[in-house]
Amino acid sequence: MANIAAQRIKREFKEVIKSEEVAKCAIKVELVNDNYTELKGEIAGPPETPYEGGTFVLEIKVPETYPFNPPKVRFITKIWHPNISSVTGAICLDILKDQWAAAMTLRTVLLSLQALLAAAEPDDPQDAVVAKQFKENQDMFRQTARHWTFIYAGGPHKNSDFDLKIRRLTDMGIEDHQARVALSSYNWDLERATEQLFS
Amino acid sequence: MDVTATNASNYSCVYGTPSRTSHRFHRRVKCQKGLSNIFGPNSDAPIGSTKLARRMAAANEPGSSRNNNGEEKEKDEKMFECNICLDTARDAVVSMCGHLFCWPCLHQWLETRPNRQVCPVCKAAISKEKVVPLYGRGSTKQEDPRNKVPPRPPGQRSEPENNGGFPGFGFGDGGFHMSFGIGAFPFGFFTSSFNFGDARPSAAPRGTPQFGEEHFLSKVFIWVAVIFFIWLLMA
Repeated sequence: MANIAAQRIKREFKEVIKSEEVAKCAIKVELVNDNYTELKGEIAGPPETPYEGGTFVLEIKVPETYPFNPPKVRFITKIWHPNISSVTGAICLDILKDQWAAAMTLRTVLLSLQALLAAAEPDDPQDAVVAKQFKENQDMFRQTARHWTFIYAGGPHKNSDFDLKIRRLTDMGIEDHQARVALSSYNWDLERATEQLFS
Repeated sequence: MDVTATNASNYSCVYGTPSRTSHRFHRRVKCQKGLSNIFGPNSDAPIGSTKLARRMAAANEPGSSRNNNGEEKEKDEKMFECNICLDTARDAVVSMCGHLFCWPCLHQWLETRPNRQVCPVCKAAISKEKVVPLYGRGSTKQEDPRNKVPPRPPGQRSEPENNGGFPGFGFGDGGFHMSFGIGAFPFGFFTSSFNFGDARPSAAPRGTPQFGEEHFLSKVFIWVAVIFFIWLLMA
């Protein structure tokens, strides 16, 4: 790994673990290996959003050309958000692509992702299904996102109605996550989700 | 859901100045004059571990608690960190928007995105030509000859304006006086003999806007002279 990349990540790592956001438990960074090429990030779901109370884990891969090129970041925790793929966790955020600037750091990237959770951009989606729901049925989107936060990110809001519908499908031999995706995609319409799963 | 309120608070977080709180003890020590002499080539070693060093440091900062002063020094150091490598800027340059970088770092950044040249901090438009190098005292000693990048762009230096006295007409290449006289009236006498103090400024160096201006002016005067001569012949 290029020396400048490792040197900088080292400095940033020290900086971020001393930052006030870490003290407030809003963000967190951990090392995955010793040569600073891969890290594990964590962000708290921002307040007054469906993600509130959840903890979202991120995979951060530092390229050799860092900081001249952005780090590769992906959600490991499954999340229901217009700009994040519900399948792969890939993120659509300009600063992680062409709007990256070399003065940005791990800390600012994590804070930007937290801001992204609070302010989705449905006109520039990563997950078309989620974006469509976000635009057409805000309330359904919020409930779905809150449910995903509860299931995958340790959020506080349990939705018994959704759980019941999922159990109906799992009783039919459908895998838990697959059932959740189908129901989420069809606004929790059990009939249409079943149709899609068995077609 | 109050989207706007949430957005505003979050974005202010994202774009706020990152607080750099990493501790680099050895550089703080280097800052303290005199100490580096005592420790010679090993001044990079964390001397805080030796009792002598601690006493020296305390003696160096009379009248204030050592801790506070150390923090201040550290803050001072951070003010001169390159925004790209986060180390103290070497071969420092400043963009027109005021952000400090190592020249090698900034050069590499500009090379990485040749068609999108923006400041890594504030995303203002920047270019290689429009950065100002910083020359501190003794900075030449720190220069690393192994730098593979092209040399830093030079600072632009223009001669100070010479106020007072007859400004004179610079004729491009300097030192060339021209005078016109008609009949018995000695214009030439006035123009050549009444230049008190010889306060003609030296010609502006080629390539500066001043050079262009002077060149233009001299051409204008030559044409005025030519027209005057033609008029004389016609009359």
